[in-house]
Amino acid sequence: MNHQVFDNVLGLGCGVVVLSAVVTLWRHSLIAIIRALAVQGVALALVALTLGLHGHDRGLEVVAGLVLLAKGVVVPALITKVVRHDVASRETDPLVNVPASLVAAGVLIFLAFAASRSVTALTSNAPGRLIPFGMAAMLIGFFALATRRKAVSQIVGLLLVDNGIALVAFLATAGVPLIVELGASLDLLLITVVLRVLATQMRRRLGTVDLDGLAELHD
Amino acid sequence: MLWIILFVPVLCAATCAIVTWRKAVGWFGVASASIITSMGIVLAVRVVHGRAAVGYHGVLRADALSAFMVIVIGVIALLATLQGVRYLEAEIAAQRCTTRHASLYAVLIQGFLATMLLAVLAAGLGVMWVAIEATTIVTTFLVGHRNTRGSLEASWKYIVICSVGIALAFLGTVLVYLTALHAPRHGTGALDWTSLVAGSHHLDPGVMRLAFALIVLGFGTKVGLAPMHSWLPDAHSQAPAPVSALMSGVLLTVAFYAILRFKVIADGALGPEFARTLLVVVGLLSLVVAASLLLGQRDYKRMLAYSSVEHMGLIALGAAAGSTLAIAAVLLHILGHGIAKGVLFLASGEILLAEGTSEIKNVSALLSRRPVLGGIFAFGLVALLGFPPFSLFVSELTMLRAEFRVGLGWAAGLSLVCMAVIFGAVMSHGREMLFGPKGTDDPAVTPALVAVPLIGGLAACAFIGVSVWPLGALLHAAAHVVSP
Amino acid sequence: MSVAHDVGVTGVGVLQVVVIGIGGLVLLGLMRKVRARIEGRVGAPVLQPLRDVRKLMRKERLRPEFASWIFPLAPVVLVATVTVAALMTPLITTHPPLAGGSDLFVVVYLLLLGSTLVALAGLDTGTAFGGMGSSRALTIGALAEPALLVTILALSVSSHSSNFPVIVRATLADPAVIISPARLFALAALLIVIIAESGRLPVDNPATHLELTMIKEAMILEYSGPDLALVTLGEAMRLALLLGVLVNLSLPWGVASSTSVGALAIGTIVLCAKVAAVASALSFVEVFLAKLRLFRLPELLAGAFVLALLGVVSGVVTK
Repeated sequence: MNHQVFDNVLGLGCGVVVLSAVVTLWRHSLIAIIRALAVQGVALALVALTLGLHGHDRGLEVVAGLVLLAKGVVVPALITKVVRHDVASRETDPLVNVPASLVAAGVLIFLAFAASRSVTALTSNAPGRLIPFGMAAMLIGFFALATRRKAVSQIVGLLLVDNGIALVAFLATAGVPLIVELGASLDLLLITVVLRVLATQMRRRLGTVDLDGLAELHD
Repeated sequence: MLWIILFVPVLCAATCAIVTWRKAVGWFGVASASIITSMGIVLAVRVVHGRAAVGYHGVLRADALSAFMVIVIGVIALLATLQGVRYLEAEIAAQRCTTRHASLYAVLIQGFLATMLLAVLAAGLGVMWVAIEATTIVTTFLVGHRNTRGSLEASWKYIVICSVGIALAFLGTVLVYLTALHAPRHGTGALDWTSLVAGSHHLDPGVMRLAFALIVLGFGTKVGLAPMHSWLPDAHSQAPAPVSALMSGVLLTVAFYAILRFKVIADGALGPEFARTLLVVVGLLSLVVAASLLLGQRDYKRMLAYSSVEHMGLIALGAAAGSTLAIAAVLLHILGHGIAKGVLFLASGEILLAEGTSEIKNVSALLSRRPVLGGIFAFGLVALLGFPPFSLFVSELTMLRAEFRVGLGWAAGLSLVCMAVIFGAVMSHGREMLFGPKGTDDPAVTPALVAVPLIGGLAACAFIGVSVWPLGALLHAAAHVVSP
Repeated sequence: MSVAHDVGVTGVGVLQVVVIGIGGLVLLGLMRKVRARIEGRVGAPVLQPLRDVRKLMRKERLRPEFASWIFPLAPVVLVATVTVAALMTPLITTHPPLAGGSDLFVVVYLLLLGSTLVALAGLDTGTAFGGMGSSRALTIGALAEPALLVTILALSVSSHSSNFPVIVRATLADPAVIISPARLFALAALLIVIIAESGRLPVDNPATHLELTMIKEAMILEYSGPDLALVTLGEAMRLALLLGVLVNLSLPWGVASSTSVGALAIGTIVLCAKVAAVASALSFVEVFLAKLRLFRLPELLAGAFVLALLGVVSGVVTK
C-alpha cells in the first residue's frame, strides 16, 4: 500500500474514532449516540484492517473482521434494543451541558497528548504517533461515563473507553496476542449483554433507565 | 493436572445446569470446592520446591504462589458452598427464588470459581486479565441474585465501575506488551510472565511507569482500593451472603495477586521505589477511607465490606515493603482475612435471615439470644481485628515489622492510627449487636450445617495463627516467587 | 506564453471582484431556485436578485430619524471589505493581486469587520428587531470565532503557512493533503462556520421574516433603496467568497496558476461550476433541515470547535 495513502487512511480512521466519541457528547438523541458508537466500531475495524494489510498480518485482518462484526454491528444492535422501548430516549439533562462537554473534550484531547508522550517516544513509527487519539477516545469515554445520567449513555461511555484502549492496542503493538484479543472481545460482548439485561430489569422495575432512580445505596 | 483443576468447576457447573433443581445439587458445589482444595494441596506439594508446573501448551502455569491461591480459593469456596446450600433452601422456602434461579446460582458460583482459578493459573498476563474480567461478568448476576431494587443498583455500579477499572488494567497490560516488544531479545510470548520477569531490566522505564500506574489503578478497582472502592460496600452488602464471602474473601485478593505479578516486572524495570510509593499511597488512602466510613456505619454488612477495604489497604502496604518476609505475611494475611471475612459474611447472612434486618441498631443481644451464631460472629470480629491467636495477628505484626525495616515506618505508624480508629468503631458496633437486654424467649438454636463449617473456619484461622506448620514452606516458596 | 495575452495583476483583480459580485447575486438566485424546484414550485428566475439590486439602486433612500453615521457607513464598509478580501483570495488564480498580504487571518477578519459593522448598524437604528437581530448575530459571531481561528490553524499546519495562496499552491502540488484527516476535519469545521456566518439553515433561515426567529433579516430591516442594495450585494459576495474559499481548499483543481487569458477563462468557469455545485448541494440539504433553536447553537459551534481542534491535533501528529 502506498505510504502516504496508508498514513492518511490510518489518520482518518483514528480521527473518526475520536470524532464519533465527540459526537456521543454532542448529540442528545440516544439513537444517534448509539449510531456514533457503531461508526466508531467501523472506524476501529478500518484501522485494524489498514494495519493488517500494510504489515501483511493475516491475524490482524481476521481481528479486523471480528471487530467490525462485534463493535460495528452486534454491540450497537444489542444496545438499540434497550432504547427502542424507552419513551424518552434522549439524554435530556447531563450533569455537564453539551457546549461545556465539548470544550472539555477539547481539553481531554490535549491531555491525551500529554499523557501518551512516553508511549509515542517509544514507538516512533507512523501508527505509534497516532496513539494519542486512542487515549483521547478513552478519556472522552470516561467523561461520558461520569457526566451522563442515562443507563444507555453509560454503557456507551464504557464502550468508548474500551474502543479507545483497543485503538491504542492496535496502534502500539499491532494488536495483543490473538487468544487475549478473542478473550477480551468475548468479555466485552458479555458485558454488553449483562448491562443490557440490567437496563431491561431497571426499566421493568423503575419504569425508566434514568440512573437518578438508583440512589438507594449510600453512606 | 492444571487443566483438571479448571475442569472441576466447569464440569460441576454443567451438571448443575442439566440436572433439575433438588437439594443435592447444592452439595455438588461443596464437592467441587473440596476437590479444588485437595488438588490445590497436591499441586502445592509438587511445586513447593521451586519447579513450576506447566500445562495446556504453556497457557497454564502454576508456581508456589498460584498453588497457594488455589488453596485459598478452595478453602473459602468450601465455606461458601456449604452455606450456599442453606441460603438457597431458605430463599426457595420463602418463595423469593424459583428453582430455575437456584440452578442459575449454582452454575454461576461454579463459573465464578473457574474464572478465579484461571486467573491464578494463567501463564500469560493477557489470559490472566481476561479471566479477571470474566469474574466481573459472572459475579454481576450473583450480586443481583436477590433481585431487589438495591441489588440491581449494586450490580449496575459494580459492573460499570469494575469494567472501567479492568479496562484501565487492559491498557496497562497493552503497554507492558508494547515495552516487551521493543525490548531487545523479546520472545514470541511477549505477555508470558516468566519471560517478562526475566527481561524486565530491558523494559522502557517511561512506559513501564505509566503501565504500572494503570495496573494499580485498574486491578486496584477490583481489589477495592481507594479511590476506586465505591462499588465495594454496595456490592458486598447487597449480594447473597455466600457470594459476599467469596467476593470479599477471595475475589479481592485474586485481583491483588495480579498486581503482585505485575509488581515484580515493574520492580525489575524501575527499581522498587516506584511501585512502593504507589502502593503506599493507595494503601494509606484505603485505610483512611475505611476508618472514616466505619465510624458512623449503620449497616453490619457494609461494616464488613469497609473492613475489607481496610484489609486490602494493609495488604497493599505490606506488598509495598516488598521483602520476602513481607510478602509471606501478605499471603498469610490473604488466607487469614479470607477465612475470617468469609465466616463473618456467612454469619451475617444467617443473622439477616434470622433477624430480617441489616441495620446494626435493630440487632441486639445476639450472644444471649443466639449463643452459637453470636459467638461465631464475636470470634470472627475478634479475628478480623487482629487479636491472637488468630493468624491475622501474626500477619499484621510481620507486615508492620517489614514496613519499619524498609524505611516505611511513617506509613506503618499512620496505618496503626487508622487501625486504632477502626478497632474502636468495629468494637462499638459489635458491642451494640452482641450485647444488650436479653428478651424472654429461649435462646434460638443455630443449625449444625451453619455452625460447624463456620466454627471449623475460625479454628483453622486460629490454628495457622499459632503454628504456621503445614503452610510455612509453601508461604516461603510463594513469597519467593514475587520478591527478590 | 505571450505578454499580449497576459491580462496582468490589475486585470485579475477586476475579474475576481466582478465574478464574485455578479456571481454572488446569481448564486443567491440559484440557491432559491434549487430550493423552489425541490419544493415543487417554479420559483423566481435565477437572475432575480440581480434585477432586485438594480431596481433598489434607483429607489429612494430612507433612513431612520435617529440613526447615526454608522447606519449609512455599514453597507459601504461591508461591500468594501468583501471587495478587498476578493482581491486577496486565490479564487480564479493562485496569484491574486494582493497575494503578499493574503493571510487567512486577514481575509477572515476583513469579512468579520464588515458583518460587525452591519450588526452595529442594526443596533444603531434603535428598533426592537434591529437590536434583537444584532445581538443574536453577534452571539453567533462570538461563538464561531474560536472555531474559525482553530480551523485556520488546522489549515495552515500542513503547509506551514497561513498565507492563503501558499496553502492553495501546496494543495495543488500535493493533492493527497486533501484527504489527510487534518484537512478534512478543518473543512468540516469551516463548513459549519460558513453556514453560521452567512446565516443559512440550520442556523438562520434566510427566507423568513418571522419576528421571533430571524437574525440576519432583522438586522437589516431598516435599510431601503441603494443601502439595501449594497447590503444585499455585500452579503451575496461574502457567501460566494466563503464558498469559493471552501471549494478551493477542498478541490483546488482548475485554479489558474498563471495570468494568461486562457488559464483565467478556465479558472473562472471552473470556479463558477464548483461554487454552483456546492451551493446547490447546500440548498438541497437545507430543504430537509429545520432551524435550530437559538440555545442549541452553542452546541453546534462548540462541535465545530472540537472538529477544528481535532484537525490541528491530527495535523501535528501525522506530520
